Amino acid sequence: MRGYRAMTIAEIKLFLREPFSIVFVLVFPLMMMMLLSAVFGNDQEEAQAVENGILVWRGVTPVNYYTAASVAVIIAALGLMTLPINLAGYREQGILKRLRASSVPAWVVFSAQLTVALLTFIAGTIIMGIVAWLVYDAMLPEDPLGVIVAVLVGTATFGALGMLLATVIGSSRAAQGIGLLLFFSMWLICGSAPPRAVLPSGLRDFSELLPLTHLVHAIQDPWYGFGWSWSGLAVLTAFAIAAAIPALWFFKWD
Amino acid sequence: MASVISVENLQKSYGSVVAVEDVSFSVEAGEIFGILGPNGAGKTTTVECLQGLREANGGTLRVFDLDPQTQTDTLRRRIGSQLQDSALPGRMKVEEALRLFAAFAHNPVDPDELIARWRLEAQRDQAFDSLSGGQRQRLFIALAFVNAPELVFLDELTQGLDPQARRATWELIREIREQGTTVVLVTHFMDEAEYLCDRLAVVDGGRVIALDSPQGLINSLELPVVVRFSTEAEDLSWLEELEVVDQLSRREAAVEIQGTGPVLALVAAELVAHGIVPADLRADRPTVEDAFLALTGQTIRG
Ligand SMILES: Nc1ncnc2c1ncn2[C@@H]1O[C@H](COP(=O)(O)OP(=O)(O)OP(=O)(O)O)[C@@H](O)[C@H]1O
Ligand SMILES: [Mg+2]
Repeated sequence: MRGYRAMTIAEIKLFLREPFSIVFVLVFPLMMMMLLSAVFGNDQEEAQAVENGILVWRGVTPVNYYTAASVAVIIAALGLMTLPINLAGYREQGILKRLRASSVPAWVVFSAQLTVALLTFIAGTIIMGIVAWLVYDAMLPEDPLGVIVAVLVGTATFGALGMLLATVIGSSRAAQGIGLLLFFSMWLICGSAPPRAVLPSGLRDFSELLPLTHLVHAIQDPWYGFGWSWSGLAVLTAFAIAAAIPALWFFKWD
Repeated sequence: MASVISVENLQKSYGSVVAVEDVSFSVEAGEIFGILGPNGAGKTTTVECLQGLREANGGTLRVFDLDPQTQTDTLRRRIGSQLQDSALPGRMKVEEALRLFAAFAHNPVDPDELIARWRLEAQRDQAFDSLSGGQRQRLFIALAFVNAPELVFLDELTQGLDPQARRATWELIREIREQGTTVVLVTHFMDEAEYLCDRLAVVDGGRVIALDSPQGLINSLELPVVVRFSTEAEDLSWLEELEVVDQLSRREAAVEIQGTGPVLALVAAELVAHGIVPADLRADRPTVEDAFLALTGQTIRG
């Protein structure tokens, strides 16, 4: 624990000295939320809009839809981009090797990164919530506990996916490319950009297999008071376990 | 007492590249053991296998009677490492780095003491990125000692250090040995090897080609001693009759004698007997560098 604390404090300091490395992760979801909310508005009539036999906005206004979805987007961006880029960079520069030679366990390296990601995420969510609430009069979570649980499960899932990417991908440049690609393709088809109702049915079915779709639901459902998305949480947990085991098992230090 | 390190027939390949073909040696407690060899000889690979940082393909490795491959965690508590290629996060400050690493040590040394000993006071709050090469090196050496190790691996100890810092580092390494720490030192500097090491393994092409004390290495190769002096005397043929003298050459007053064995003493005695007492009589003894070049050949190889 002493080691975990020291590592986390060190990582927080490093992050504060170079906060812009992460601006994208915070600014992009916020910008998209504002943009999409401005386009689709906060009209109660929209809430009941139907396309392809599906409620387009899940029975809430577009603003509310995007506020909750964007929380999921921050988590995905941290897991798919920030984590693997940081870890691959550490490996490439020989930092991981230096840490390992001094008895720093892999879980400490990971969990310190995850903690910083979670703190960033909390900051990002608070900003997002305030903006949405002030500017667009969006609803705040009906069931905050349910949202928190979904966020924690989602962080574990995308954290594990990020570690898996860092394990599989050798260089930080490759991590950047692959992370960006994965992030944007998920962002586009998982209901966080266009609502899934307007997607062609094949794409919609495919997005059912992706973790971000389930995270969006797992956060939206308690947010709007629809209850907990047990199936979403279950799928996310399965993803977390399936990613974490090979990530820790095959992790390369140099 | 059992050896601190024993390596038998270590073998390590990277794909089709054989980095270490067959390396065996042992290191005793309290020793400064040097590993010398040309670029790509397999020195770093060998010491990193011993630290459990790379996996050997074959051979038996024991460090403190532990297996570096399987008992890595126990082993790492007792050893210190200065790696040839490693880094710290660019924005991490010197003092922070020492405190961070101390948090993982079982028996940590006070970071302030390390900062003072390795003369990093002025860099205490400087970020790793902004340190000069020599300052980084001193930080890495300090990090190797943060857990008060019983055995320390130093891979290219003084790379990038200026002459003063090198000297100072040598003295500190000797001091550390006096306190009972065993040292394994990989180096390219012959003066360093000669000055510090009790025994030296010369590695070439993934094999140990010689293993002895620095003086023992030189003696075993029977390298020529060169004795020089100047004299106006015309006839020196009587010197050539000495058994230790192989060759005598002169350019005007300057005389150069090549020989093996106690050349200086015998030449000096003979000169005095003939009433010649040159003020500039001196001998250039073969150095570890001569031995190294003789052993590994003088060409650059891959
Ligand atoms: N990770 C690696 N992957 C592939 N080949 C490697 C790797 N590490 C080392 N080698 C190769 O193994 C051989 C031995 O390398 P090693 O680093 O042990 O040499 P060294 O004696 O430390 O050399 P130097 O004096 O240049 O540091 C070299 O031919 C090198 O190219
Ligand atoms: Mg080397």
